Amino acid sequence: MDNPHISQELADEFAVGALEAGIRDLITLHAADCHECAVRVSEAQDLVAMLALGAPLRQPPQQLRRRVFAAAGIGRLGLLHAAARRIPAISGIAAALAVIVALTGMFMLRSDVSDLQADRDRLQSQVDEALRQEVEIAALHLRLDEGERKFFALQIAADGDRELLLAVLAPGTEVAEVFSVDRGVPNDSFGRLIWNESERKLFFIASGLETRPLEETYQIWVARDGRYFSLGTFNPRADGFVRFEATLEDGIDSYQSAIVTIERAGGELDRSGPSVFVTDLSGLR
Amino acid sequence: MSAVCNRDVQAYANLYERYIDLVYSTALRVLSDRGLAEDAAQEVFVRLWRKPESFISERGRFVSWIVSVARNRAVDDLRSRSRRRKREVLTAGQPADTGVADIADENENPLRSVELNDTRAHILVAMKEIPVDQRQALEMAYFGGLTQQEIAAHLHVPLGTVKTRIRLGMKKLRSLLEDQR
Repeated sequence: MDNPHISQELADEFAVGALEAGIRDLITLHAADCHECAVRVSEAQDLVAMLALGAPLRQPPQQLRRRVFAAAGIGRLGLLHAAARRIPAISGIAAALAVIVALTGMFMLRSDVSDLQADRDRLQSQVDEALRQEVEIAALHLRLDEGERKFFALQIAADGDRELLLAVLAPGTEVAEVFSVDRGVPNDSFGRLIWNESERKLFFIASGLETRPLEETYQIWVARDGRYFSLGTFNPRADGFVRFEATLEDGIDSYQSAIVTIERAGGELDRSGPSVFVTDLSGLR
Repeated sequence: MSAVCNRDVQAYANLYERYIDLVYSTALRVLSDRGLAEDAAQEVFVRLWRKPESFISERGRFVSWIVSVARNRAVDDLRSRSRRRKREVLTAGQPADTGVADIADENENPLRSVELNDTRAHILVAMKEIPVDQRQALEMAYFGGLTQQEIAAHLHVPLGTVKTRIRLGMKKLRSLLEDQR
């Protein structure tokens, strides 16, 4: 799969049901339009369903079957037809007699059954129409609230940050996951890169970062054709959270990737330290 | 399923017989209440009859789909009951189930389908290989209906730790099941 928008980790979290409602809705919306991501999510859901197979098995009470069929509107007529089909072919005459006996009583009620079936079909059409409208309204609701969903998706990271929230809500905002390169960064760190096209602003947010010693700092770069351009340096808060922003007047299209490295305090003119985060910027275009 | 789309009652009855135990067990695992699990299972199968086209075969296997529907229906019920309980202040601060369920015994209540039994046997072997903390995180999310943040709060661990456990647990499960193919 080339350049998926939903990472494997995010697809797994979605499939197992561990994501907040806002992010869940975003992924559902995206997967509806992106075949590659839909396949990735579907594979994760397939895998997660295996957890159910591993759970202890219990049999429901027998009467549940009757309840289900009754609630589905499959009455005795349908069940008798199903029963008649199960009668073995080798007992042909006996089978025919059994069916005739079974159906004899029903001929007497045929007109009533026909009326009931007509009523049921009419009601079913009404239910189907109501369901169709409900689905359309739900889909419209999701589209109208897409900006609101994006806000919820980053609510925790935003931490009451109005500017970041406005950037997220703006049309044309794209979000990419930042991957830990596992050097100097705890395994439970994660980050996001947000590009706001209208403001030409790039936000880097991350959590779980370790504070560097006084002689070191984190530095963020964007890369083009093997050359690195510094966007600036930053250090995380005491709780490991960082929120960094930079303006890229010439946009993001000409850059292939962004990385975060550990450099000497004050930053470096040329990238030299180890990489800690990397992300593919093509997902933000 | 195409037969069910054509209102074939026998086909529907066959699907019911094949999957009801799995659907009911999944709902019961989430809801821990037989009556509620029966209601959830009933709703799953009624929906299957009324809207069989909601299963799209290109998107995955039927067993995965029906288990997802059952799990989601049960979790929705669980969450709405939880919200109702909070409003009624009946059981303040009652913690969610954080225990790891015993892995099912492969001899217990075999499924009514040879293919499902075969798959289940592989799953049971694989589940025993997943570290307990990873399995716990997966089960709290999947069966407990908890988000990562809620799991972190219940277990008093950082959010990142929960994400890592889920990531590694899924990776392990994926690798174990691929090895067994």
